[in-house]
Amino acid sequence: MNTMGIPPFIPELASEHALRFEYLFWYITITSGVVGLALYAALLYFCVVYRRGVNPGPTPRILGSLRLELAWTVIPAFVFLSYFAIGVYVFNKAAHPPEDSMEVFIIGKQWMWKAQYPGGQRVIIGGNPRNMTEAERNSIGKLVIPAGRPVKFTMISEDVIHSFGIPAFRQKMDVLPGRYTTMWQHPTKTGEYHLYCDQFCGTWHSLMVGKVKVVNGAEFDSWLMGHQPFQGSDNAVDGSLAHEGRQLFLKLQCINCHSATPTGKAPVLEGLWGTRVPLKGGGGEWADDQYIIESIRKPRGKVVDGWEGVMPAYDESQVTNEELNALVAYIRSLKKGQTPDNTQRFPAPNGAPTDRTQSPPPPKKGN
Amino acid sequence: MSAKHNTPALKHHFEDLGQQHACERLGIWMFLATEILFFGGIFGAYTVYRYLYPHEFEVASSHLNRTIATINTIFLITSSLTMTLAIRAAKLGNKGELIRWLFVTAALATAFMVMKGFEYAEDFHEHYVPGRMFQDELKSARDEIAGKSEEDAKKHQFKPERQKWAKELAVQVNHKHVDPGKVQLFLCFYYIMTAIHGIHIIVGIGCILWVAWEAWRGTIPPENYSTVEVVSLYWHLVDAIWLFLMPLLYLTGAGYKH
Amino acid sequence: MSIAAPQGAPAAAPVPPEPGPLPVNYLNNGHSIWSWLFTVDHKRIGILYLVSISIFFVAGGIAAGIVRLNLLQSDGAIVSEDAYNRAFTAHGVMMLFFFLIPAVPAVFGNFFIPMMIGTKDLAFPKLNLASWYVFMLGAALAIWSVLVGGIDTGWTLYPPYSTRASQSNVIPGVLGVFISGFSSIMTGLNIMVTIHKMRAPGMTWSRLPLFVWSLYATSLIQLLATPVVAITLVLLMVERAWGVGIFDPSLGGDPLLFQHMFWFYSHPAVYIMILPGMGVISEVLTCFSRKNIFGYHAVAWSSMGIAVVGFLLWAHHMFVAGISFYAALLFSLLSMLVAVPSAIKVFNWTATLYRGSISFQAPMLFSIGFVVLFIIGGLTGLYLATLGTDIHLHDTYFVVAHFHFVMVGGMVMGYFAGLHYWWPKMTGRMYSDFWSRFAACVIVVGFFFTFIPQFVIGYHGMPRRYPNYPQEFQFFNVMSTAGAGVLGVGYLMPAVYLTLSLINGKRATANPWSATGLEWVSQSPPPIFNFDESKMPVVVCGPYEYSLGVDQMGRTLPDAPTGAPAELHEGTAADGHGPTSPAKQES
Repeated sequence: MNTMGIPPFIPELASEHALRFEYLFWYITITSGVVGLALYAALLYFCVVYRRGVNPGPTPRILGSLRLELAWTVIPAFVFLSYFAIGVYVFNKAAHPPEDSMEVFIIGKQWMWKAQYPGGQRVIIGGNPRNMTEAERNSIGKLVIPAGRPVKFTMISEDVIHSFGIPAFRQKMDVLPGRYTTMWQHPTKTGEYHLYCDQFCGTWHSLMVGKVKVVNGAEFDSWLMGHQPFQGSDNAVDGSLAHEGRQLFLKLQCINCHSATPTGKAPVLEGLWGTRVPLKGGGGEWADDQYIIESIRKPRGKVVDGWEGVMPAYDESQVTNEELNALVAYIRSLKKGQTPDNTQRFPAPNGAPTDRTQSPPPPKKGN
Repeated sequence: MSAKHNTPALKHHFEDLGQQHACERLGIWMFLATEILFFGGIFGAYTVYRYLYPHEFEVASSHLNRTIATINTIFLITSSLTMTLAIRAAKLGNKGELIRWLFVTAALATAFMVMKGFEYAEDFHEHYVPGRMFQDELKSARDEIAGKSEEDAKKHQFKPERQKWAKELAVQVNHKHVDPGKVQLFLCFYYIMTAIHGIHIIVGIGCILWVAWEAWRGTIPPENYSTVEVVSLYWHLVDAIWLFLMPLLYLTGAGYKH
Repeated sequence: MSIAAPQGAPAAAPVPPEPGPLPVNYLNNGHSIWSWLFTVDHKRIGILYLVSISIFFVAGGIAAGIVRLNLLQSDGAIVSEDAYNRAFTAHGVMMLFFFLIPAVPAVFGNFFIPMMIGTKDLAFPKLNLASWYVFMLGAALAIWSVLVGGIDTGWTLYPPYSTRASQSNVIPGVLGVFISGFSSIMTGLNIMVTIHKMRAPGMTWSRLPLFVWSLYATSLIQLLATPVVAITLVLLMVERAWGVGIFDPSLGGDPLLFQHMFWFYSHPAVYIMILPGMGVISEVLTCFSRKNIFGYHAVAWSSMGIAVVGFLLWAHHMFVAGISFYAALLFSLLSMLVAVPSAIKVFNWTATLYRGSISFQAPMLFSIGFVVLFIIGGLTGLYLATLGTDIHLHDTYFVVAHFHFVMVGGMVMGYFAGLHYWWPKMTGRMYSDFWSRFAACVIVVGFFFTFIPQFVIGYHGMPRRYPNYPQEFQFFNVMSTAGAGVLGVGYLMPAVYLTLSLINGKRATANPWSATGLEWVSQSPPPIFNFDESKMPVVVCGPYEYSLGVDQMGRTLPDAPTGAPAELHEGTAADGHGPTSPAKQES
């Protein structure tokens, strides 16, 4: 690549979705290109053959042709519908992640991305290098994901709207404050690719960029291990996102009401995730991430049938979005019989995680 | 073309009065369509948030002054009647009666605005205004009952300078988890909607008085009363919008028990 | 001489030969500044708009120049990121709200709708004047907000950025847009009522020129969509001023609500911008090919179809914004539907040229340029309406290029086509034939060089609104900037030769293009009440009877210009309008 680079004809294709995109893209390009060129040819032909010098008039009085007009109404309509149909097929694949996807939390923030892996590892991506020290510049990481495995990105913003886009995967999704959006990818090709913020988000919008590094599965596992090793095999592994959530669960005193046995104050949360919850006043709701978040932020909105809406709301000053992720991960991982004992609240757990610092070395298991 | 140049009411660019009236009538109906979409936008936004935060909207609405609103509703409905009577007078060519009914309409509208002014003044006096005033007032009330249980807080004797709404809201915010931000959101809608409506009323008063002036000058003969009709259509729309505002803003919290 | 003129008004009185004072017309009827500022003449108001939007076109163009120059280098060539953000916002706001939306409706609509339907003025002349003042007030606020530091939100003004994070002058700018919206409503209302109620005798709906139809459709959108954005902007300003959570999720609001309400206006608004351009094209293509429009009803009703369906697909701007899966399906399907009437128009325009007698004066060159560019603009829209491709192309330069192909390649070309087509009528002067043809070619070439590269880098994923970008996009960005330079020169040329034509242009005849519309019946420039008051036009046939050689009043058309420069201005006495003097010749 020279200094004033020219990109390749077809940009890098690094995922299954990217390939589907290309097929659709070129299908549209070729079909509409044929029509466009035919129109250009007709225009050119008419302009040359019927120019006034050759054809001074008078002209025939042609008012139209119903048959022709119907043809160029109906045929394009069907072609457009074929775009729509194939587009829906591609979009449908892109919108629904497979069950076994590895989930990576993405947090957008002016002007950087933070990625949290299920093991608790964190990477900071992007930021304005001009305002950074050398050490900080070196600490900017890459979003490492494995080739050949589906990866789901669950995304939220801490401030304004961003958009998480990776051209090599041919997909992007807006990252909103206050609600989760998701996208998933099945990377197929190792390499480093651009990651952009696509929704204008302020002064350094154009520096909210970074790299996605797709590595093969084994490399990814060792990267994960090296970055921060897994320990134990409990549902909430020390150092994992769920473990962090567990500590928050104790620290915020959620455990006082949501204990292992029904106390009369609040429902037990074991095995809650993924079930259908009956709501007070009729109806029900699937206990998914969104519902759990709502129940923390706005607990009185959808109260479980048989309980009083007494839980206080936790706004962003009390539980940050990052901590919310941890709590969700914990509640999701909570299986029967695993609610911690109320006494485990003491000694006080480690404080909430801060940016750009590694978690302290995990304490011994079963503290 | 026969009517051309015969009557001073015919504007230069129209063929005849029929065309002029048709234009004026169509114009005002189109204008009303834009007005409906203008208010439709804010009604839509209101609906979204009412659906999201029904409880807070109910609480916030319950502190508004429904007495004034009811009186104002009566004023406006009556003014629609008098406006229609004015049209009748115009059609019959009864100049004195036309002017009289227009003045009654304008007077009712003015009365509405005066009452509205009293209501705003009361709200401001009570600091029931989104922003700093609201937050300070609520905070001092909440500080007084900080740490108390719900029962105690309800029995608490607030300092006399505390506003009634703040006392009730403080207990609710501290214990029943009303989100004060959403209460302010409702208040925002309340002020924006009533202010925009109020501007429409003021414009309406101006138009009515202008028609009365024209009538007094004798430029509204019975065969050319479309000015009155146009203003009346506008006036009815302003009334109709109030009939939507009244339940949305005032009656929402009417049944709320603190 | 005339054929079959039922009202027996063949306008036989010859105009005195020049040189000599022009007969009284709307231009020489009062020269004081007040005669302009307090005029209620729709033609003068049209001219006021023309002057105003030209200023905003230049202002928006300067902002575009800053943007393009800065993109010469991958880390910003001339200005800081903050300045860049303000420049592209100023470009968007100026061009969209203060140039494209008023361009054709407020200038040519104002000027020619009453003339084309054969009446003396718009239905509400005072409202018309008020709309210009309201427009100028809004524009003054917007300009002021730019002068005191600018806005950096982008023209889309998405909260919570615009309400919470932005440090710039959002409120004055938004207030300016809000206020100017009312001027758009007033113009739309005026035009719609005029078309409904003030058509000349015999001017039935199916004899309306297609320009009138397209402006009818435009006015419908202006009337019904603009109030929604007005209230949305009020809510935005309130949120920003008082810090309440209408759209800001951290305060309980919903940012997607803003996007829905904003696009409910702003999507139909792009049809406010493009439909009038399409109307101009239908006029010019028929005139310069001496043909009836191919499929009058299809072209007329496709305008209405676009206007109505255009209201139903706003959320295709939000496919990746977090709307539900099924909402995305629905809006994608509806977006495909709106492509159909646009396609019909293009096919019908092309078919109109078949067996015509085509000459290539500047208006025709601009119109063919419109069709050529609009084909690309329209077809690339399909990529963005298709869900599977939009999730990659959204918010990239592909969108920027598509939008500019439709708006600049379409609408601005249409605007220039109209300007050149009607300039002789508006000013009574002919402009340089050579330079105008040359400018049209330069603009089309510059346009291709500016925006085709943007499709490429968009496909490669370069996001919009990026002053810093990866190295590999630099080649195409430099190419685009170079093209923009050519385009800028192309846009400067009309400013020069049109201005010069006012000073030393040849006098135009009443009907220099030998066109059929009623606006060509009266002298150039038109008299104060558009037509001779004793002989208001009576319409006997449809708008494009070029092959019969009669205008809408059934009178024989003058000979069409062959395209050679000298012949353009001689005029013929066939319709009773005298020839102009061979005054200052200019090549």
